[in-house]
Amino acid sequence: MAGDMSSSPLVVDAFQAEIGASEPWPVDVCLYQQYAAEQITFPDYAHCLSVKTFLYMCGLDFRVEQKTNAEEMSPSGKVPFIHVGAFLVSELDPIIAFVNARGFNLVSDMSDTERSEMRAYMSMIESILVNAELYLAWLDETVSTEITKPRYGCPYPWPLSWMLPLRKQKDVRARLSSNGWKDKTIEQVCEEVRTCCQALSERLDEQPYFFGDNPTELDALVFGHLYTLLTTSLPEGPFAEIVQKFPNLAAFCKRIDEKFFKQEEN
Amino acid sequence: MGTVYAKAPEPATVNNPPQEGPDDIDFEHIPVKVERVVVEGVGRTKDDVIIKEVRPLLKAETFQEMVQKSHEVKQRMEKLGLFKRVGIFIDTAKDSANKDSYEITFEVREFRPISGGMNTLIGNNDASLLFGVKLPNVLGRGEKVNGEYTHGTKQTRGYSVMMSKPLNANPEILLSGGIYQFHGSYPWSGYKETDRGLDIDLTFPSVLGMHSLRWDGVWRDLRSLSRTTSFAVREQAGHSLKSSLKHVFVRDMRDDGILPSSGSLLRLTQEYAGLGGNVEFSKQELELQFNKSLFWDTVVQLSLAGGVMRPLHKKDDIRINDRFFLGGPLTLRGFSLKGVGPHSDDHPAGNALGAEAYWMCAAHIYTPLPFRPGKGGFGDLFRTHFFVNGGNLGNINFNDLQGSLKDMGNDIRWACGWGIVLRMGRVARMELNYVVPMAVKQGDSVNPGLQFGIGLSFL
Repeated sequence: MAGDMSSSPLVVDAFQAEIGASEPWPVDVCLYQQYAAEQITFPDYAHCLSVKTFLYMCGLDFRVEQKTNAEEMSPSGKVPFIHVGAFLVSELDPIIAFVNARGFNLVSDMSDTERSEMRAYMSMIESILVNAELYLAWLDETVSTEITKPRYGCPYPWPLSWMLPLRKQKDVRARLSSNGWKDKTIEQVCEEVRTCCQALSERLDEQPYFFGDNPTELDALVFGHLYTLLTTSLPEGPFAEIVQKFPNLAAFCKRIDEKFFKQEEN
Repeated sequence: MGTVYAKAPEPATVNNPPQEGPDDIDFEHIPVKVERVVVEGVGRTKDDVIIKEVRPLLKAETFQEMVQKSHEVKQRMEKLGLFKRVGIFIDTAKDSANKDSYEITFEVREFRPISGGMNTLIGNNDASLLFGVKLPNVLGRGEKVNGEYTHGTKQTRGYSVMMSKPLNANPEILLSGGIYQFHGSYPWSGYKETDRGLDIDLTFPSVLGMHSLRWDGVWRDLRSLSRTTSFAVREQAGHSLKSSLKHVFVRDMRDDGILPSSGSLLRLTQEYAGLGGNVEFSKQELELQFNKSLFWDTVVQLSLAGGVMRPLHKKDDIRINDRFFLGGPLTLRGFSLKGVGPHSDDHPAGNALGAEAYWMCAAHIYTPLPFRPGKGGFGDLFRTHFFVNGGNLGNINFNDLQGSLKDMGNDIRWACGWGIVLRMGRVARMELNYVVPMAVKQGDSVNPGLQFGIGLSFL
């Protein structure tokens, strides 16, 4: 029964991964996200950029489909999600697992120690950068009123255009309240971001990628978030300055942008 | 002093002339003068409404007119929802010199200020429990406030608060409005939806029938029901805001709403969505029914229904939650609920996608149960029926109207069968039928053999 399957997504994921392994990468893979120019909020944009970078790094072809209702369409309620044949997979980690199951792997020649180190860095990004982005986008008074809420509500007619952003803000506030980020000041948040960048900068050092000469999913994740912080113009943008203070991270973003995105455009 | 529980007296006709004789009193010609009207037991009801209602009594000139008018006043006051019970006492005015003077006393019982209850509700193939709180006659002029919570079998949850008010103290003209929230799931289409809305409704009679004019502003949040929901339905997930004006006209000349034996029904519905919001379409629907009694309590019933909608702008699509669906045990029998018409084809049992036009018709022959057990009592709630029903659901291309109409006429689905109908109260019915689908199209979800249905709307 449909209802039973939806109640245990893990089983479905395992099932999808199993089936997926036997099929090649179809030609009509689609990545769904909100409209990049008018609608998407920058934390979501960072997630989408990470997934796109990861897929490009794997050398996989896909088409980006922009939908105003991408968030509601997604099986997990979060963007981005990819539509591969009969499967829908949302968010970076499940997408990585799905792509790996199809035989595309960026980290096949890494040792177990390196892999768990990479995982540790990835969860640091999740727990610091993602929360910092949400804090700035939704809890900072100026940014949320001037940028985030109008963008989030733009596809809808009044009064949904103000009700839906308020509802989303409430959800984000509840999430940040449960992990203790809600009561931080902007200075504390900046300090967290600085620590995170410091750690990343030290790991990267002068290498082209975080783990030597080949890209990994950590590179995709870091690029997605740092590039978004560097390029999003906000009325209050303390994060861009923080990232700029680490020249090797800024150079890393530029390098990946040129290698995987400028090429794609040509 | 006698109590007159007034009944409308039969008018004297040529065939039934008032009889002459010393014992017979010609009520029609007894002159009266209503000197005083007393209403006893009034609490929160406002004087101006009562005065307005009883005023015509003072103009009564004959005894018969007085009795008849008193009865009308009683009925109107009860219909307005002012009083629970109204008793009428007519007496001669005691302290009057004039012997034709009368005094009319209404003994009224008001409603308790608040009442509550729990009911079971039957929807179309769905049952739910309803908890309600009622404030009758809350402001003293027949205003009613009604709060409800429904909890249904198919994950349906609803809350509503409605207020209604008779306009101009006329019980037939009712203005009502309210707010509601409703959550339901639609497994045949693979989605669930939460509706939050406001509505305002004006119901009024005209010489032709009853009209209802309703504005509805509703925020609808549609989501996929499960991971197996087809992508065609998933694409429609999200928020929409519908602001629509709907006019329903009903001319019901039948002797009964559930198992009529004679009379006809005409129901016309027009809906225009697009007064703000982001849902824009216009929708027309028609329902016709004729009933004719034959010999031995056999009734023949012919019904026809149809509907068409179109988006206001050519390039727009109509959302799945506004489209028409067809099929089910009380409408197009022999097919699963909403089982006719376009389905998504990416699953073994695809999701019903609905369409922008439909028509269906049905012919029934109703007879009492064989050998008529329980005649005059319980048995009269049952009928057996033989039926043939058919119809089609499809999209109309307005650039090729003739071709589309031809398609709608060609791909007919039809089924025939036999079964038992049970009337449930005054609004719902239950059917157990044996159905043989005769014409089916690819993609339809068919239900041959025994089919059970329960619900409010049927054809």
